[in-house]
Amino acid sequence: MTIVVTVLTVAVIVLTVLVAGLLRSHAVILRRLHDLGGDVDMDGAPGADAAPTPPPATDDLDLPQPPTVSEGRVAADLSGVGPRGEARAIRVAGTPHDTILVFLSSGCTTCHRFWDDLRAAGGDDDDPRVVVVSRGADAESRTAIADIAPRELTVVMSSEAWTAYEVPGSPYVVHVDGPSGRVRGEGTGPTWQQVQRMLRQGAGDLDARRAGHRTASADAQREEDVDRVLLAAGIEPGDASLYTRADGTTVTRTT
Amino acid sequence: MTKAGLVKLAAHGLAVSLPPGWEGTITAEQEALVAAQSLAFAASAAPPETMPVAQFATFALPAVRDDFGGTAVERMGRDDVFISLVEYAAEEASSALFSARGLPRRLDARAFSPHMLQRRIPGHTGLQRFFNHGGRAFCLYLVLGDADDAHRLTRRAEQVLATIVVDDAP
Repeated sequence: MTIVVTVLTVAVIVLTVLVAGLLRSHAVILRRLHDLGGDVDMDGAPGADAAPTPPPATDDLDLPQPPTVSEGRVAADLSGVGPRGEARAIRVAGTPHDTILVFLSSGCTTCHRFWDDLRAAGGDDDDPRVVVVSRGADAESRTAIADIAPRELTVVMSSEAWTAYEVPGSPYVVHVDGPSGRVRGEGTGPTWQQVQRMLRQGAGDLDARRAGHRTASADAQREEDVDRVLLAAGIEPGDASLYTRADGTTVTRTT
Repeated sequence: MTKAGLVKLAAHGLAVSLPPGWEGTITAEQEALVAAQSLAFAASAAPPETMPVAQFATFALPAVRDDFGGTAVERMGRDDVFISLVEYAAEEASSALFSARGLPRRLDARAFSPHMLQRRIPGHTGLQRFFNHGGRAFCLYLVLGDADDAHRLTRRAEQVLATIVVDDAP
């Protein structure tokens, strides 16, 4: 009899400790949720038989979306006139290629070095594409630009572009990321080569940051794929099969 | 820029509203030539007529291009479309070649053929239509980047053709 009483006493003590521990951890969880703004009523504790929150309806699913590139301001497409009088519209956002916008004037001394360098480069590459932007005919001589601009260079005269890109003066260079339609880097320098080096360095840093974005994006994509497969199989959020283990036991739902 | 990403271009009696993904130019390539000749001959002779050329594309147009897309179409991808609207001398408008009336807005994808290309590139297909519009003579030339996807790319081209406005001859 003494042995039984002793065993029961020990069992009661152990159970008391366990219950106290559970209550404590539960209190900690509730406090954390409260701090996070969770929808838990700390004062009016819900009854044990309170109805659980229903699973969201399929139509309300908020599936994860691919993250957008947050860095860089939104780039503006260009429209204006060419130095030979042509009307011109140039896409820089939403294109598969990047675009380097080189804001130049016909008069500034440093700009002349850029014009010479660009003429020597002679390229009309399509990735990255180089586009020279001068002020519009309201603030720049079309004849002067036509004289100085090599024919093989894409040139657009647009004061609106200078305003849109908040160009502080010339020369000034802006690198637009085509696929995201955002400015990737910008700045100025004494020569075209030096500015190119600066842009390449900036682009390299950004690529490294984007590698991290892509990992998160891959996780989100994987989750979205799983959701899609489950929905296609008729398994909606809250479906009992989602809470059943392979051995037939059930998992407590968390809402 | 206008609403919904449309870009409006207007020059030489031609206007267009380019939908997103398109760029273009409207030029009169002989302008520089006319200016040079006027200087050389002191305007003693009537200057040659300037012939507008409008080009629209879903890819980056190089600075120097032929009227029918030479040096540009080489850059096309399979999803790309190139449109060139080349004007001819007004007196041609009444000739048999330009007897069709009005800018074609709807196109039959089956009418495209690699044989109509000015520059044959594997995978490309093209279409050429001569017509008169408001007393002016034009050639509409299109290149699609993927002959096997002509129906979809034709619809893409029609989005631009629907917005082109051609002024009457002065």
